[in-house]
Parts: sequence; structure tokens; C-alpha cells
Amino acid sequence: MTYRALIGSVIVAMSLAAASVAAQVSARVPQRGTPEQLKQLSSKPTPKLADGRTDFNGTWDHLGGIEFVRPQTKADGSICLIGCAPPSRAGGPPPAPFPPVQTDFPKYKPEFVAKVKDLTEHQVKYDTVLQCQPPGVPRIGPPSKIVQNAREVVFLYDDVNGSFFRIIPTDGRPRRKDVPASYLGDALGRIEGDTLVVETTNFNDETWLTDNGAFHTKELKVTERFRRRGDTIEYSALVQDSSVLAEPWSPKAQVMWITDVEIEEPARCEDRDLEHIVDGSHHDNPR
Amino acid sequence: MRCRVTGFVAVAAVLLAVSTALAHHSVSGQFDVNKPMTLKGVISKIDWINPHVYVHLDVKEKDGSMTTWALSTLPTAMMRRAGLTKETLAGKPGEEVTIDAVPARDGSKNLGWINRITYADGHSFAPTGQ
Repeated sequence: MTYRALIGSVIVAMSLAAASVAAQVSARVPQRGTPEQLKQLSSKPTPKLADGRTDFNGTWDHLGGIEFVRPQTKADGSICLIGCAPPSRAGGPPPAPFPPVQTDFPKYKPEFVAKVKDLTEHQVKYDTVLQCQPPGVPRIGPPSKIVQNAREVVFLYDDVNGSFFRIIPTDGRPRRKDVPASYLGDALGRIEGDTLVVETTNFNDETWLTDNGAFHTKELKVTERFRRRGDTIEYSALVQDSSVLAEPWSPKAQVMWITDVEIEEPARCEDRDLEHIVDGSHHDNPR
Repeated sequence: MRCRVTGFVAVAAVLLAVSTALAHHSVSGQFDVNKPMTLKGVISKIDWINPHVYVHLDVKEKDGSMTTWALSTLPTAMMRRAGLTKETLAGKPGEEVTIDAVPARDGSKNLGWINRITYADGHSFAPTGQ
């Protein structure tokens, strides 16, 4: 075999190997919603149900707090997930900051600032999300799937801590008075044109509003707005807890986009780490 | 298969460079990022769980005995963003892989955090870009 033929064979073999690896990892990969893609999706007609109301049904993707995960796959199939070196070609996106910089945080009344500081410094001990507990609202973020009928809307969540659901009546029935306080609260909804408005109360006080010690009380009320624009939904939330917050707070708004990648039963949540953390150090838990 | 070998200075330098970022994460609270090590062995099991997937690596020691390491890595949702599955992470049955890792700080034996898995054909998985 000549040197050129040998090199050719090696290149072919490497290409086949890379293609094989790429084929293994290509299935069911959620796609990142670039600004251009989101603009195109939002410009589509907003679908309506037979009764004329806006249709919110669908499986919806969003970056769910892990926008810093920007996988890069090399020609040989090697994969990097976080903090990857920028691609060699010019014009590639820069690596996302990791850990993510938290720019939105609720403002607490002065007498509770020290408590927030203590909680965040001992997040490993006090943040129940790290113990596989439900994350609460709005920390859980937008749902992964919405199922809508004439009487109610159902949110399904494919969360790192497990499968969660919320049932949101939209037929005008009164709020229930016989259910105990819970992690995800008790929701009522209404549809205002292209926007689904969800008001949730009756939370327990075991969850945080976001990372870094953002505790709340049972007085918490969260109003979420889902504005459908084409094949996207603009998600925002308003958090009110006047017993501890100095003012209402809105976490960073998100855009959801429709996807054909169906949600899956999440892997079970089983913490094996907390007992090994030696210094009680902080654990960022972006969502 | 070969026994566990210690890491190189270059790996330590890279780890030090990223330690600031990792200091905000539990990695540095649970694992000693200043003690890189390299393990060679066969992946015997993947625990596809949240919040961290665990890779079990059978490492043959010099005396012929087998040590199984439990090596932690990222959550399943992050793996899915890259199309990684339990099967692709495990590699081929019986395949020898090289895992760059850092050990537990609390003295737990055979517990670590994965910096990189390099498979027999040369392709690799680097959860945090190291």
C-alpha cells in the first residue's frame, strides 16, 4: 500500500468512526432556539381552538436555566458540554458564562436580608431542591408540555427533580378551599386573548423563589403570563409576598418554542452528593 | 487495563485555571480539584440518575485485584442537550476507557468527579470542557 493510499484509508476509517458516533448522539436532541429561529417561529399565525380561544397545546422547549450548556461536537465525535473552547471558525458563539451570572433577585425587606445571606451561605443545608424536593413556583420555570381542554389547562414538567404536574381550571370555577398548602400551590387560570394568565396561591413555605436563599412565606402569590405568538410563548411571572419582600419581583422572562421532541419520564432523583460536601459550601442551582 | 496513575502538571494547571468557576459549584466543595488523577478501566455500570449521573469504573490494580470507582458527572438533562444517552456514555461492552477525574475531599475512597472520559477509539466526553 502506498503512503497516500494508507493515509486515505486512515481518513476514511476516521470519518466512518466519527459518523458512527455522530449517528449515536443525533437522535432526540433538543435544538437551541436562536433569536433568528424564535423570530421566525413567532411570526407564524397563532393557532386557535374550535371555540375561538387561543391554543396553548403542545410540547414546548426552553433553556430551563441551563443556557450555559452549549454542547460542541468535534469531527471525531468528541463532546464538550460546559465551558467549551470556542469553535475555531470565525463568528462562532462565545462560550456561555459558567456558573451563570444571576442578575434577577427579589428585594427583601431590611429585616430579612440577613436571613437571605445566611440561607445562601448554607444553601447545601437548607435548599430543599438539592434534596430532590419539588422546586416550587416560579423556580420550576415554564412547563415542558401543555394540555388544554374546555375546562382546564394541564402543565407537565420534565424536571431534574422528577415529573410534576399542575392542573389549572379555566372555566371560572372558584378556588378550592379544602386542599393543603403544597410545593406547587393551587392554581386558577383565565385566557385573555392570546394570553393565559395563571394565578397560584396556597403554597407551603419549603421552597425558594430562586437560587441563593430566596425564601418565601405561605402568603406567596405568583401570577404567570403565557402569551402565545405564533409557535412561541412569552413566559413571565410576577411574585408577590408582602410579608417578606420589599416589592413584587419578576424573574427573567423566557421564551418557549414548540418542539417535536416529546418529553420523557425524567431519570429518578437520588442525591448522593450532599453528605460528601465537606465545607457546606454554596451550590449554584440554576434553573 | 492498567492501574490508576497520577495526573500530569499540565492537567493540574488547567484545573487551577478553571477552579474559580468551579468554586461556585459543589464540585470544589465535594471534590479536590487540585488532585487530578487518571484512571484506566472498564465502565461496569451507569447510574442514569439526577441530579448527577454516576459512572462506575472497574480498575484493575497492580496486585490483580479490582477496584470499582463511583464517578459523578452532570445531570441527565444536560447530557440530553448533547444527545448523550446512558448507552453512548457507557461505550462498548468491555471497552477500556481513560477517565481524568478528581477525588472526593472527605476521604471517601474510590469516589470522584469526571473531567473527561476518553474512549478506545479516541473520542472523548468532557462535561466541563477540561
